[in-house]
Amino acid sequence: MFAYTVRRVLATIPVMAIVALFVFSLLYLAPGDPAAVIAGDQATPQDVERIRASLGLDRPYLVRFGEWAFRIIQGDLGVSIFTNLPVTTMIAQRIEPTLSLMVITLCLAVCIAIPMGVIAAWKQGTIIDRAVMGFAVLGFSVPVFVVGYVLAYVFALELDWLPVQGYTPFARGFWPWLENLILPAIALGGVYIALIARITRATMLEVLQQDYIRTARAKGVGQKGVLFLHALKNAAVPIVTVIGIGIALLIGGAVVTESVFAIPGLGRLTVDAILRRDYPVIQGVVLLFSFVYVLVNLVIDLAYTLFDPRIRY
Amino acid sequence: MASSTILPTEANVAVAVPMPDILPPVKQRRGFFGFLRRNPTITIGASLVLLMVAIALFAPFLFTRDPTALAPALRTREPSAQFWFGSDMLGRDVYSRVLYGTRVSLTVGFSVAICASLIGLTIGLISGFIRAADAVIMRIMDGMMSIPSILLAIALMALTRGSVGNVILAITIADFPRVARLVRGVVLSLREQPYVDAAVAAGTRTPVIILRHILPNTLAPLTVQATYICASAMIAEAILSFIGAGTPPIIPSWGNIMAEGRALWQVKPYIVFFPAIFLSITVLAVNLLGDGLRDALDPRMAKRV
Amino acid sequence: MPEPLLVVENLQTHFRTPDGVNRAVDGISFHVDAGETIAVVGESGCGKSVTAMSMLRLIPEPPGKIAGSIRFQGRDLLTMTDREMRAIRGNDISMIFQEPMTSLNPVLNVGRQIGETLRLHQGLSARDAEAKAVEMLTLVGIPAPGRRVREYPHQLSGGMRQRVMIAIALACNPKLLIADEPTTALDVTIQAQILDLMRDLKHRVGAAIVLITHDLGVVAEVAERVIVMYAGKKVEEAPVGQLFRNPRHPYTQGLLGSVPKLGSSLTGTETRLAEIPGLVPSLKSKIPGCVFASRCTYATDLCRKVAPALEEKAPHHVAACHYAIREAVAA
Repeated sequence: MFAYTVRRVLATIPVMAIVALFVFSLLYLAPGDPAAVIAGDQATPQDVERIRASLGLDRPYLVRFGEWAFRIIQGDLGVSIFTNLPVTTMIAQRIEPTLSLMVITLCLAVCIAIPMGVIAAWKQGTIIDRAVMGFAVLGFSVPVFVVGYVLAYVFALELDWLPVQGYTPFARGFWPWLENLILPAIALGGVYIALIARITRATMLEVLQQDYIRTARAKGVGQKGVLFLHALKNAAVPIVTVIGIGIALLIGGAVVTESVFAIPGLGRLTVDAILRRDYPVIQGVVLLFSFVYVLVNLVIDLAYTLFDPRIRY
Repeated sequence: MASSTILPTEANVAVAVPMPDILPPVKQRRGFFGFLRRNPTITIGASLVLLMVAIALFAPFLFTRDPTALAPALRTREPSAQFWFGSDMLGRDVYSRVLYGTRVSLTVGFSVAICASLIGLTIGLISGFIRAADAVIMRIMDGMMSIPSILLAIALMALTRGSVGNVILAITIADFPRVARLVRGVVLSLREQPYVDAAVAAGTRTPVIILRHILPNTLAPLTVQATYICASAMIAEAILSFIGAGTPPIIPSWGNIMAEGRALWQVKPYIVFFPAIFLSITVLAVNLLGDGLRDALDPRMAKRV
Repeated sequence: MPEPLLVVENLQTHFRTPDGVNRAVDGISFHVDAGETIAVVGESGCGKSVTAMSMLRLIPEPPGKIAGSIRFQGRDLLTMTDREMRAIRGNDISMIFQEPMTSLNPVLNVGRQIGETLRLHQGLSARDAEAKAVEMLTLVGIPAPGRRVREYPHQLSGGMRQRVMIAIALACNPKLLIADEPTTALDVTIQAQILDLMRDLKHRVGAAIVLITHDLGVVAEVAERVIVMYAGKKVEEAPVGQLFRNPRHPYTQGLLGSVPKLGSSLTGTETRLAEIPGLVPSLKSKIPGCVFASRCTYATDLCRKVAPALEEKAPHHVAACHYAIREAVAA
């Protein structure tokens, strides 16, 4: 087990290296002259040259990547073109709201989606199943900002139950913090819930066909025992895998959700950086999110043994 | 057998009591309309998609006016007989803009679906057939898939000038690794099939095997995947435009209309509302079509229902 | 005479499928006395497994539907509530399945799976249940039961897993054990061991057994009475010796003819292994006459037109064939 963990951790290093290489190479892959694009339409040729030099576009690709990668390993993500602050500092200032939003969304989604999927599989073909599946298709189809605006309009503007926008740091109390995150979490969670509910239903349907489920019923195990002990434990690996993969959706959705609800997190930082063409910041955020994503999936991979004794390393 | 003295006839044999039916007979539906009845999701999804295509094609004839015509005197009018969906902060007709916006969304959705499928198919086939290339290609695909696709598209768009072509390119780059992975999976599982082994053993050349055995089998999952990519590409376009990294503001796209309505959404929600409805319905239609196709094309899934 | 342990009357199990109603079991009647072993034989797809599953109401409804009556100790299982039914499953009636490899839950350890039955039906604590599970493992002849009880199914061989299944089935001393092809998936040597074990435990526990199988060798070895099924119907029933000596239904004759006789090549009486031509008819369309007529070499227009009733052709020996010899007439 220990040897496997080490091997598995080591195996993520090439993936991360490729991510880094790819994010770095975007500058060279992009059609047109990125320096000119970043400098903007009113820029003088001197401005363009300055940006070209600061991005290192005037030097050989590999040399530049080497230097860049070396700095990344030391935790240096470069300096913002716009604010001249280190990118790591800017990220550190913005990470709390994003992390809060994602953790709440994750908990909310898992708590709602798994029972939904289990019940849909149990009641396959009935109205309940159709309702869950219908909800899932809607969750996939209605973009996060649409859900966000509708929720904010109904629950904040019309009913005045929750604040419309903004963020209160956790340090100022649990409830003020949570209050601001409820609507964004529901909006952001829609796609994620749909995804998890669907995979739960599909896996449960598959598992419920298995011979050991028939054995459990033949022993006199009740419906709840069959579903939540015998079936769900067997369905856990695919479900957990999708929860991990789906975090990509959360990350993408957070950028938009933060714009809709005016949450000063990494998503806002990204959007602002785009408007200012502040490429080092965009690069830093993309890199950070990708590394987090790879790490989360690594942890999930290692956690498989908890669910299935057949998986031994 | 018949050695008994009396020959059995209808008159003297014991007749079994016929068993009653305990389930009502199953209605069989055949033909084109039968197919539509059996697959309501395909029917609903396809008709909505066709409706949207019709709206996109015939936008100029559907009582629209120039979607970019400014009328500062008629700013932010509520929906009325003059402005069916109201007017935006520059006095442009939201109805016309939303209808023309269909063109952008569908163009992006369909183009990305086709481009990502073709690139993904090619790379997947290469990876599935050439062992030496497989490891390298798949590591690169893994790396690309480790970057959340919207972020990748955002990063790409930040480096280029906004244009519909660049939006399509950015979303395609973010999406094709998924197709490549799917195709590779299908190819690898097909290669294990006895009939493919037999073809290889019989000396059939690789291109022929690909054409005859592999491609036809990848078509079904590829089609389903393409519909999902089409749906997510339309959402991605809207997101990119919404945060200002997509279609240039001059072109009326749903994301742009919403981005422009954003500042006013608390007082004039309809500017955001109408494009949102259209976007949701279109994406829903494509997703329904995809689900329906998956159920109809994948017999293993279909058996469950 | 007291009522038998189990009385099945006009059992029908149908399934809704996209291309018609599948009449998997269509009007089966039989009984099982306490402590008796009966065998249900037939080709795959004849409805014997569905009959077994129906007896414990393990058929999902929908798409399935069960009709008729199944009286166990005088109470009709088909009219019971789910809760009452659950109290019977695994307790009064238990079941062993064909595939030991897949019939055990892969993510729960063996002790837990045996103990679950005891906890459900006898209210044992987790610790007592595990102790009893060790006892059961000893009983079914698994070495080192104290260690095995903590192991997972993938750590056991096929034969051991089937022993575990038997341990689960017998944990609560059931009155009826339904065994659906319990030895089919096992090696021949293991098959014999499992059969011996079942026979041994049957005497100890005193359970009646309904053995579902297509293996006539197994039938001859353990059953007292045999029911032959074809296309969802019972076509013949007789005490085991009589059935083997004097099969009345052409289908049974065909089945017996397709068993190679051991040593027949040595004694010079080697005959070609007889086979029954054709395939089992589709159960989705109603068959007007005898269900076996399409494959029967003796079939006449009468057979194709009129379905034969089950008739007592000899004492305790019934068959559904117009042309089967009736003892009273022939003798």
